[in-house]
Amino acid sequence: MDRIIEISNLTAQYDGETILEDISIDIYRNDITVILGKSGCGKTTLLKNILRLYQPSQGKIKVFGQDITGMEESDFDQILVKIGVLFQNGALLNSIKVWENVAIPLEQHTDLPDSIIKRLVQKKLEMVELPFASNLYPAQLSGGMRKRAALARAIAMDPLLLFGDEPSAGLDPVTSLALDNLLLKLREFLNMTLVIVTHELSSIRRIADRIIFLDKGKVIFQGKLKEGENSDKPEVQQFFNPTGRR
Amino acid sequence: MPSFKINENILFISGDLKTDSIKSAYTEFLRIHQRIPAEPIILDLSEITSIDSAGVAFLDEIKLITGKAIHFINIPDQIQQALDVFSTAGYTEKDDSLEKTGFFETLGEKTFDLFGKLHEILLLITDIFYWSFAGLFQKGGQRKGSFTQQSLLIGVSAFWIVALISFLIGFILALQSAAQLRQFGANIFVADLIGIAMFKEMGPIMTAIVVAGRSGSAISSEIATMVVTEEMDALKTMALNPVRFVMTPKFHAITVTMPLLTIMADLIGIFGGLVIGVTYLQLSAAAFINELLSVVILKDMLTGLVKSVVFAWIIVIVGCYCGLKVKGGAEGVGKATTASVVASIFLVIVADSILGLIFYFDAPLY
Repeated sequence: MDRIIEISNLTAQYDGETILEDISIDIYRNDITVILGKSGCGKTTLLKNILRLYQPSQGKIKVFGQDITGMEESDFDQILVKIGVLFQNGALLNSIKVWENVAIPLEQHTDLPDSIIKRLVQKKLEMVELPFASNLYPAQLSGGMRKRAALARAIAMDPLLLFGDEPSAGLDPVTSLALDNLLLKLREFLNMTLVIVTHELSSIRRIADRIIFLDKGKVIFQGKLKEGENSDKPEVQQFFNPTGRR
Repeated sequence: MPSFKINENILFISGDLKTDSIKSAYTEFLRIHQRIPAEPIILDLSEITSIDSAGVAFLDEIKLITGKAIHFINIPDQIQQALDVFSTAGYTEKDDSLEKTGFFETLGEKTFDLFGKLHEILLLITDIFYWSFAGLFQKGGQRKGSFTQQSLLIGVSAFWIVALISFLIGFILALQSAAQLRQFGANIFVADLIGIAMFKEMGPIMTAIVVAGRSGSAISSEIATMVVTEEMDALKTMALNPVRFVMTPKFHAITVTMPLLTIMADLIGIFGGLVIGVTYLQLSAAAFINELLSVVILKDMLTGLVKSVVFAWIIVIVGCYCGLKVKGGAEGVGKATTASVVASIFLVIVADSILGLIFYFDAPLY
């Protein structure tokens, strides 16, 4: 299978504390890979290392076959254009309207005419079921709406790779289901690869092809969802079957 | 790059319709679209090799450019899938331009808005004054030590900057007037000028401007952040009155520390004048102080102190009001802070003019 992200022997520290220790991970093209683990196990740190928001202490990270650890800023920018990121709290710019937020990547990285950009933005907002929100400011939206608007911005450029940090956290079950279906649809149509950090078991079961289970900064399981659900590792078992019933 | 071909009333599009080729497709279509004679336009999509969301947006845009009905034919599966995924459900935005308000309606709205704001400010002032006095006789309602903490933040931390500015004001004022006074041999009157100016005017107003910029902005941003992060709501759910819990300690602290800061500003400003008197006008320190004590009366000092209390109340009330009225997130906090500093300084100067007039007409004739 074609690997879109290859991480080898990655060690990451934050404030002098080792968060990730010598981990090696492969993420495959067109898969939805879910990163799991208890709070503080290093999931978000892993995501931020892949996005170069943090610098790893050791190890190699290859994205689209290119080693990004020592890469020039301008070269990495070319890679970022093909990546969409959905942050935990949306991270929309509060000083501009929702449609302007979604238009930012299109205005900055394409030469599309303004009318097409506006139409494209409206399409993306409709895809996340926020067609009415284009002229509102992020502060005027609810938490779930902000997250969906942020997803519209993340998919504005039809990215090949989409990262999501807890995309369904704070959403009601119906919206969460709709979001999962949207992610599946996007993956199918755009051949998108998704890397999602989430705790939502129902969402994991709906969307995940593969899972990576982190514990205390180490990978204790990576493989297909079914294999994970049948894993004999106690931490993984406990996650998928917290009540202990089979 | 996509290309267009017209055959009778059918328009054929071929090639990739993707983000990086849309601009050229768009330009090309604008050039040729008037040559398409018939309505509806029939668009043959069979030769499109690949498409993304920008491509679908372009196909939608064609309808708008031509203003004609469009039918797609020979749609390959992949293109149909794209059209389905990125289809527009037909949401149309409300056209606000049709609802323009007239002059009188706008004027009326603004007047109501102004009265609304005045009403809110009045309520806040009442609330703050009520809890500032009534709260003294009731237990609880605010944290222990909050008065001391606020006094340190608002008053003590502002001491050095107030001291430096007052020294420089006294120094400059004396220097500028010294040159004129020397011409008339009236060197000693620099003490009169500095004394009266510092006690009645420069001391209170410079202290107020520094405190408005430093502590007023801090009050406003703190309260605005508390509103944005729902801390005010949290206080209410804990059966705590936010005015009493958050604002009253600030009110007490600024009411006590502003007059103290002003007295220090007066004295340090006079010291700045004394430096010029001694070094530039060859006055003795004793002569300067004797002259100062002979001209400055208790009422001058009290005038300054009354002003400083009024300025303090303006700063704290404006800071609290702007903080409470915050809208939005981080940007709203910034706007509230700026509005608070601008409004406090403006109102301090207006109040100074009014108080100046009152005390002037009430002044004894020398």
